[in-house]
Amino acid sequence: MKKKISLVLALGLACSTVLSGCGGSSGETEPQTIAEATTEAPSSEAAEAETEAPAASGAQEMTFIISNEPDGIDPGITNNSFASIFLANCFEGLVTYDSTGTVVGGNAESWDISDDGTVYTFHLRDGLKWSDGSDLTANDYVYAMQRVLDPATGGQYVDILTAYIKNAKEYYSGEATADELGIKAVDDQTLEITLIQPTSFFIDLLTMWVFDPVQQATIEANGDQWTASADTYICNGPFKITEMNMGESMILEKNENYWDAANVTLDKLTLRYVLDTSTALTAYESGEVDGIRNIPSADYARLKAENAGVQTVPNYGTVWYNINCSKEPYNDPLVRKALNLAIDRQSIINNVVQVDATPAYNFLAPGYVVNGKDITEGRSDRGLGPNADPEAAKAALAEAGYPNGEGFPTIQLSYYADDTVKKVVEAMAEMLQTNLGVNVEVTSNDWAIFYENVQNGDYDVAAMGWTADYTHPMSFLPLLVTGDANNNSFYSNPEYDALVEQAKSETDPEVAADLILQAEDVAMDEYPFINLYYKTNDFLMKDYVKGYYMLSNGNLCFKNVTISK
Amino acid sequence: MWKYFAKRLGMMAVALFFIILLTFIIMHSIPGGPFTSDRKVSAEVEAALNAKYNLDAPLYEQFFDYLGGVLRGDFGPSYEYTGKSVNDFIANGFPVSAKLGVITMVFVLLASIPMGILAAVKNGKWQDMAVMAVATIGVTIPSFVIASVLIYIFSFRLNWLPTYGVDTWKGYILPVIALGGYSVSYLARLMRSSLLEVMGQDYIRTARAKGLSETKVILRHAMRNALIPVITVLGPTVANLLTGSFVVEKIFAIPGLGVHFVNSVSQRDYTTIMGVTIFYATFLLAMIFIVDVFYCLIDPRIKYE
Repeated sequence: MKKKISLVLALGLACSTVLSGCGGSSGETEPQTIAEATTEAPSSEAAEAETEAPAASGAQEMTFIISNEPDGIDPGITNNSFASIFLANCFEGLVTYDSTGTVVGGNAESWDISDDGTVYTFHLRDGLKWSDGSDLTANDYVYAMQRVLDPATGGQYVDILTAYIKNAKEYYSGEATADELGIKAVDDQTLEITLIQPTSFFIDLLTMWVFDPVQQATIEANGDQWTASADTYICNGPFKITEMNMGESMILEKNENYWDAANVTLDKLTLRYVLDTSTALTAYESGEVDGIRNIPSADYARLKAENAGVQTVPNYGTVWYNINCSKEPYNDPLVRKALNLAIDRQSIINNVVQVDATPAYNFLAPGYVVNGKDITEGRSDRGLGPNADPEAAKAALAEAGYPNGEGFPTIQLSYYADDTVKKVVEAMAEMLQTNLGVNVEVTSNDWAIFYENVQNGDYDVAAMGWTADYTHPMSFLPLLVTGDANNNSFYSNPEYDALVEQAKSETDPEVAADLILQAEDVAMDEYPFINLYYKTNDFLMKDYVKGYYMLSNGNLCFKNVTISK
Repeated sequence: MWKYFAKRLGMMAVALFFIILLTFIIMHSIPGGPFTSDRKVSAEVEAALNAKYNLDAPLYEQFFDYLGGVLRGDFGPSYEYTGKSVNDFIANGFPVSAKLGVITMVFVLLASIPMGILAAVKNGKWQDMAVMAVATIGVTIPSFVIASVLIYIFSFRLNWLPTYGVDTWKGYILPVIALGGYSVSYLARLMRSSLLEVMGQDYIRTARAKGLSETKVILRHAMRNALIPVITVLGPTVANLLTGSFVVEKIFAIPGLGVHFVNSVSQRDYTTIMGVTIFYATFLLAMIFIVDVFYCLIDPRIKYE
């Protein structure tokens, strides 16, 4: 649920994330990126691995509760965020994020990039093996990516490959052969990927699980069913699945064939599905389980006060409300500015959502670092503040031709069936009515209907937001590009489109960052969204569990976990 | 009588066909599809997914393909969960739900019928009041409230019973009470009123006049007739308990069939909606049929033509 529940929980949860096979603590290599940029995603102090390795004591086993069953655990097929806990711990791709959110080598020990920035050559580690003990070679990567590019696979992230890899789109539509495709195994340990054009964030993209290798033998023998039983679920990460109980639990055990198995301490990780978050919390508080993934929002403040093990990690995503920029009177930036000024963000964070979050005045979440500096530092606040500014809001609305809200049509505020979103929407409706003197009508639908309406432009203001697939602003920017499939606020500005296009192929990260910020300035000065706050991920973990870390893409990694009771 | 039962079976088949047809039509007429996700996939990807699951064929063709599958006992692959079939869901979920259901049913029968008899026999006395008070609470308080209160007291405060799951026998105690609470109360009230009504009839007076003991009068003569309304509601109750309650299964994290009922709809997982509905409908029709057979056995006044 799945995707809809994912949105249901969107206020605190990643919608769709990236697979990083959890960074290596040993064998770290210096990534040789063109301009030596480092891409860092901050991970919270609280959730970060302890600096000193604690002594392991007691059984190295733990139980962690998750509330949602993913739609599948095939890395080539799913784009479902609930799969991340399985894929991040059972698979590892060419590169991965370490506990600080830095891109490091995963299966690849090192890589070279051609001078023109279009050919990436990866050198795999020696002796890589699948969980069944067979050899893992560069050909497995070629197979996995060709499989994603086969329409019969039904891969949901296929666009990530077709947008950047040479001839991938043509291969997908049957117009190019495997020989022409820009993915080649030079030898067993060398993989060469050729891009359409220089793409400075391609290494970041490679942390996504759609690039993970899958084993040809098991897929050919079992088809789609290979992910349905523990025996056939062959993987290559720190853990392997040893038991699958449908709808109940998945049992992960240490994968002895993982290249860095010597540094994996945890023997057994039971991931138990408990749909009801209150039940999960009771189980945690009575000591039956060691951690839970979702905290009921009503209990957040109390648990925090009791030091019960609340972990809050920034998530590379933003909660916002779309404004339909193609519709009268919302096509006027002044109207959109008025709506923005009328919202008391701090009050929504403190009193409605009740989480530790930062008010958002822009749509790019903090978290992307170039040369040691978060590029979002020192951005304009677009004249907005944590609290509402009714005077300025009314003035903007008057300037747009609606003094005191007179003559302004009733605002349709749409949302999808979800308790938290409902409360936020009600608070926003109240703020808009009081501060602008306009009428607001709230409408709710289930996710499938709501989202179809939004895509068809059948709304005024709608609950939305975004969680990035990879930690780079380019995962956000297309949302406002004219004609993009995900641009459902229908904002359009040729200047913005041109800047994004330029940023996409710019290989110098500093220049690219500058272009990205310019693009954001252009769009945000016209208020296509009501940005509310930057997302966080919250979960609970007992204090005797050490060494886990959650990345800003929402992946919770157990690779370095030790239990010291 | 056999002719009547044969006719009933035929009608069941017709009813089932219309249930399948209606569910299919309603399901396809609501907006959204199984691949509506929070991330819009490109038109080519959507086309590839539709082709993979044969969703690009005309609707009537999809319907008859599906019907053919159902007749062979194949409910098709889940659109939502890659690599899993609806048969897997039923094969994995139903035994879990059914086991909980059977235990709950036994609990319901053992509790409700004696409660009802006691209340009827002690009509107007404190025993009656007590039973009715409990039964009123049971029918008015929803199962999720009962469940939450039970978890709070027995798992959280006293730490006697597990919070979730049915891994051990202890795990069954709270879900059985939460799941059966309503039925116990409802059946106890029904048993009471039905028995009171029968007790006022002439043949009971005759039985008493013959000098039979009160126990014999109640158990041998009154009960047989008083049970008829109880048996009528027992059919749907059994079907309900055995196919799983979404709420109770959700709260206690029991991996039964109930969750698929609810989730498949919001996920537009067409095959799962169809498969689970057909399974449930068949089960319900079968239970009603069995109840009718029971009438015959228990009440000589009923004759089917």
